[in-house]
Amino acid sequence: MIIEETFTVDAPLDHVWECIRDPAFVAPCVPGCQDVEDIGNGAYRAAVKVGIGPIKTMFKLEIEVLEEAPPGFARIATRGQEGTNASRLTAKSELTLSAAGDGETKVHYKSDVQVVGRLAKFGLGIMKKKAKALGAEFAENFRVAAES
Amino acid sequence: MEFHQPANLDQALALLAADPEARPLAGGATLVAMMNAELVAPSALVSLRGIDELQTIEETAEGGLRIGAMLSHADLAGEARLAGGHYVVRQAAAGIAHPAVRNIGTIGGAVAHGDPSSDLPAALVAADAAIEVTGPSARRAVAAEDFFVDYLTTSLAEGEMVSAILLPAQPEGAVGHYEKFARVHGDYATLSVAVVLAMKSGECSFVRVALGAAGPTPVRVPDAEARLLGSALDAQAVRAASALLIKACDPMDDVRGSAEYRLMLVPRLLARALAAAQEGAP
Amino acid sequence: MIDITLRVNGEDRTLGVPVPLTLLEALRDDMRLTGTKNACNQGVCGACTILLDGLPVNACLILAVSAAGREIITTEGLGEGGALSLMQQAFVDAGAIQCGFCMSGMIVSATALLAENPKPSRHEIRRALAGNLCRCSGYVRVIDAVVLASERGGA
Repeated sequence: MIIEETFTVDAPLDHVWECIRDPAFVAPCVPGCQDVEDIGNGAYRAAVKVGIGPIKTMFKLEIEVLEEAPPGFARIATRGQEGTNASRLTAKSELTLSAAGDGETKVHYKSDVQVVGRLAKFGLGIMKKKAKALGAEFAENFRVAAES
Repeated sequence: MEFHQPANLDQALALLAADPEARPLAGGATLVAMMNAELVAPSALVSLRGIDELQTIEETAEGGLRIGAMLSHADLAGEARLAGGHYVVRQAAAGIAHPAVRNIGTIGGAVAHGDPSSDLPAALVAADAAIEVTGPSARRAVAAEDFFVDYLTTSLAEGEMVSAILLPAQPEGAVGHYEKFARVHGDYATLSVAVVLAMKSGECSFVRVALGAAGPTPVRVPDAEARLLGSALDAQAVRAASALLIKACDPMDDVRGSAEYRLMLVPRLLARALAAAQEGAP
Repeated sequence: MIDITLRVNGEDRTLGVPVPLTLLEALRDDMRLTGTKNACNQGVCGACTILLDGLPVNACLILAVSAAGREIITTEGLGEGGALSLMQQAFVDAGAIQCGFCMSGMIVSATALLAENPKPSRHEIRRALAGNLCRCSGYVRVIDAVVLASERGGA
């Protein structure tokens, strides 16, 4: 599934880049993110709580920045699992920032997320919908935080 | 995990209030399946099987029906009192899964689970049902449309449970119909249309339409119904109503169908449902 | 652990079970009644169909604790004294059985159908067996078997 968001932040490009490349800044913006840990070499570990109705679980993720061209571009790979490998997730993401005039920054990210295992078996359709909602929520949280 | 077998509703509610991680166990068709897949892990189960007041179906003074939460889909599929406009509920129940599941799955369990791709939510919205919710200190009736909030999410607050489904009296001469399109008989719907319809002198005098598997909750659009009211349910009226319904749909993409395909089904199934209901109308 | 007594194929069986244990697990693992099969564990395939108080249900969806004090009939209990039941024999004679994995559930469902509807149409048979999936047979001979059983006068 593709999660794609484009949004504008009322803050200069360099500042937005600093924020978005700072896991301690980004983590609280991700709905359900419990924990983020820098494990060096441009890689991070994160735990994200996910829930649909009565089903609640925790995805343990490893996020690696594969390539970056500050302050405008980053390519990120994510791998993770929940329920001791009951579901597995991989994601390839691209993040692009550009100056939007008037001291504003346009943020665009696109993630290609694949989930297999029990969550995919039981509710791939629901997950895709939830993922879109999460993406939108993250965008709003990040925007508000970066503008303050 | 503990297993409780309360003898009455008050006991059940007290047990649920005492432990927020406890879950009521109705038929188990969904809960046990989820437990088997380790998608949920309740601390305790409160079995509703022994609670007599949940097992009855009665006619109300106003000409409606009160269906106890523990009535099985098989019970409802064979219930002759679900006639006229209420037939939409009977037909929906009869098409759920397969006989073995219908023998244990319950209307209360299905409603509390709140899966918009399952059959009863849309049928209940079309029938203008209210969900009777009982908590430790209060009982309330919630319109079905307001009860279903999101995928697998209802407006049940902590400690509350579904105790009954209340069907109002349907307009005289109303006919209910549940039109379901699925990959195989008994599968979750790719799309479904629930209607309650009354005709007078060849014109639609009453209609309620709700779509299943079309979004996070059953989809109902009063403006779409308004387009059908007073019409002869001709192609143009159905087209206009369909267009309004489609705008309100937000179906998912999954193995049962793409979102695009499900939207394509809306006018086709709506036409079929209305035609079938008309055929049944006196 | 909860001590429960189940009446299985006419016999009382007492066992201690954890709450999440399904009736399917109790039958197969605790009681060694392995005729009932586990394929999907979700109530979709019907391989675990048994009769609970006379009604066909998926044993994987029933908790053993919920079955306490109730009548359970499995494939092992359909016939009398070790012989095949009329339905089981009809399935053999109609050539319905290939790998056999779905057949316990199929036969239980068919038995329940004839108990309620002794002369079902082929359509009614299909509807009654809709929850029993078979990957081998293509279903035609399964329907033939039920018709044969019906012609032979029972279940």
